[in-house]
Amino acid sequence: MDSSGARPVWFDPDERGQWVPDAGDEYDAPADVDATFRTVRRVAVGHFLVFLGVVVAVPILTLTVAWWSDGRLIGGMTPSFVMAAAGLYVFFFVLAVAAATLSNAVEDRMLGDPERDTPGQDEEPP
Amino acid sequence: MITASLLLLAGLLVAVLVTGLVLRPRGASTFEFYLAGRRVGVVTNACAICGDYFSAASFLGVAAAVYASGLDGVWYATGFAAGFVPVLLFIAAPLRRFGEFSIPDFLGRRLASDRVRLVAVTVVQLVILSYLVPQAVGSGLTWELLVGEGILGLTPYATGVVVSTVAITALVVVGGMRGTTWTQAAQFLLLLAVFVWLAIVVTSSGFSYPGSVAELTDQPLTKPVQEDGQWRLGSEPNRLDGGEPAYFGHPGGRYGPLGQITLIITLIMGTAGLPHIMNRYFTSPTGTAARMTTVWVLGLAGLFYALAVLLGTAARALIPDAVAGRPWLEGITVDGVLRVPEHAPLVLGRIFGGEAGLAVVAIGALVAVLSTIAGLLLASAASWGHDVYERHINPGATQRQAVWAGRAAVMVVAVLSAGLALGLRPHSLTALFPSIVATMVTWAFALAGSALAPVFILAIWWRGTTARGAVAGMGVGALTAVGMLVAAPFVGSWGLGEVLLTPTIVAAPLAAAVTVLVSRRSDPPADLERLWLRLHGTAADRHAARLARLTIGVGRAGKRR
Repeated sequence: MDSSGARPVWFDPDERGQWVPDAGDEYDAPADVDATFRTVRRVAVGHFLVFLGVVVAVPILTLTVAWWSDGRLIGGMTPSFVMAAAGLYVFFFVLAVAAATLSNAVEDRMLGDPERDTPGQDEEPP
Repeated sequence: MITASLLLLAGLLVAVLVTGLVLRPRGASTFEFYLAGRRVGVVTNACAICGDYFSAASFLGVAAAVYASGLDGVWYATGFAAGFVPVLLFIAAPLRRFGEFSIPDFLGRRLASDRVRLVAVTVVQLVILSYLVPQAVGSGLTWELLVGEGILGLTPYATGVVVSTVAITALVVVGGMRGTTWTQAAQFLLLLAVFVWLAIVVTSSGFSYPGSVAELTDQPLTKPVQEDGQWRLGSEPNRLDGGEPAYFGHPGGRYGPLGQITLIITLIMGTAGLPHIMNRYFTSPTGTAARMTTVWVLGLAGLFYALAVLLGTAARALIPDAVAGRPWLEGITVDGVLRVPEHAPLVLGRIFGGEAGLAVVAIGALVAVLSTIAGLLLASAASWGHDVYERHINPGATQRQAVWAGRAAVMVVAVLSAGLALGLRPHSLTALFPSIVATMVTWAFALAGSALAPVFILAIWWRGTTARGAVAGMGVGALTAVGMLVAAPFVGSWGLGEVLLTPTIVAAPLAAAVTVLVSRRSDPPADLERLWLRLHGTAADRHAARLARLTIGVGRAGKRR
């Protein structure tokens, strides 16, 4: 089951079954979290607007563009059918990969201390 | 046929129970029972979420909706898959990082209010019940077709409901989240394999997907209707163009101008509020893992639903010609059109694989039902056992008592849903709703998307959300959605009726607006900064990742030695 290999330590501070994560010696500064939150929110809202635009566009095209419902694309399927039966799933997946990759990159760069794992960083400066 | 089917079923049920026993929680801890120790990996969790999510509504209902309504039926599949995009963008990672047991637990802790937790429990239980009943109906319909006979004096439909409920209740009670996760993941792979097999045999028989869509679109859509005890084919009116008939490949077979959009909004918002799906994110090891799990889910969902749409089309195209020489088809069709659209994938299985093919597809349908019932029962148990019993009834409960409270909750909710399913007669409802299973699930989505999702998203992304605002928002969202659903039959299913049947487009914005307005007049929790760090910070994620690297490093070093 543990295919990721990650085994975070959890503890129950008041012994009432309220398990919370133990961040160990890792720490997030409130200002960093706030900046990251705003950036990730921009990423999420931007991708959501693209998603909403495409999903709503399909029925709207149905109502407004005759070719969308009557034209023929692949062996007799209408553009509307091709989009609903397969195209939208591909679009959802591509959008998800893009959004997840960008959000992960934002969090990696803006939170945490990438220098921490650098050898010798804990040494006293000369 | 009955012997083979029963043997397959018995094998399946035994496998499920053995899995539950082998993977039962280690020790009596709610952390293990409800969350599988928060060690479920990305791919395993994605498969388990798919097993949880792809219920009878997906396995039988989507193909049935396409079979009955053509292009308009495809929108069920689109909406079900699309629902995970907002989950990925707005919910998965922060929800997991906050790390509680359930939606009510998350809202109660985030807004520092027991009242919020209790209101959320009420809404969650309503969602779970309205989702559970159609699953039980699906199991009854499947047993009817697969076995055709009841046991202990029960009808075949009642037998299916009772057997599936008893088996899966036993799995959840014994296996908890750990056993359920593994069986759900395996069950999803089985479902996918059944669809892939069916698609291969159908296509290799000469079925042309694009060609069939074009051919089906040349003739008006028809549906069986019963008048004075006699079945006949009636035409499906075009809801976009009054007076004209509907066609398979064109819009209008099911929805008017507003219908598609209201359905999509309902399914998208509903997914973000489904308790059994959201609870699965709490089992991920980190927030990033929860996010990547959703990416996998979207890929797998796209594949699954694309196949479901293909099979619905294939059934519509191939069954009329298959009736000749197959007397068993005459009893369930009217001039080549199935009376119950949910039978479409099952009939394809029997046409192309004989009795064994039918048994394989029917087992797939039962598996879809069982895995979803398992997730719903676990979500219900977390809600009753953790949010109500541990928090309010017996705050000093030992872990053993808390786990047993969850198990008792599982049994009570299972009996209730089976009782409701037995009270329904799906055949009499089919004339009212082309695909009753998918329609009933839509009601659960409507309630979840109207009452829970707006408050949920606001609590994650808006610091100003308060307990009073959340209670008001959930209340208004739930009452609006239920009120509109209750009013729908009196208005009909056209025009305004479409909005009433899929009310989230009205209820969710209303719930969000009320939440914001009331929140602005009250104060957020005192320790908001700490809650915000927990929700959007990644310190715990990094700690987990560092531990994992150390563990792997130590393991490798040990092996080298």
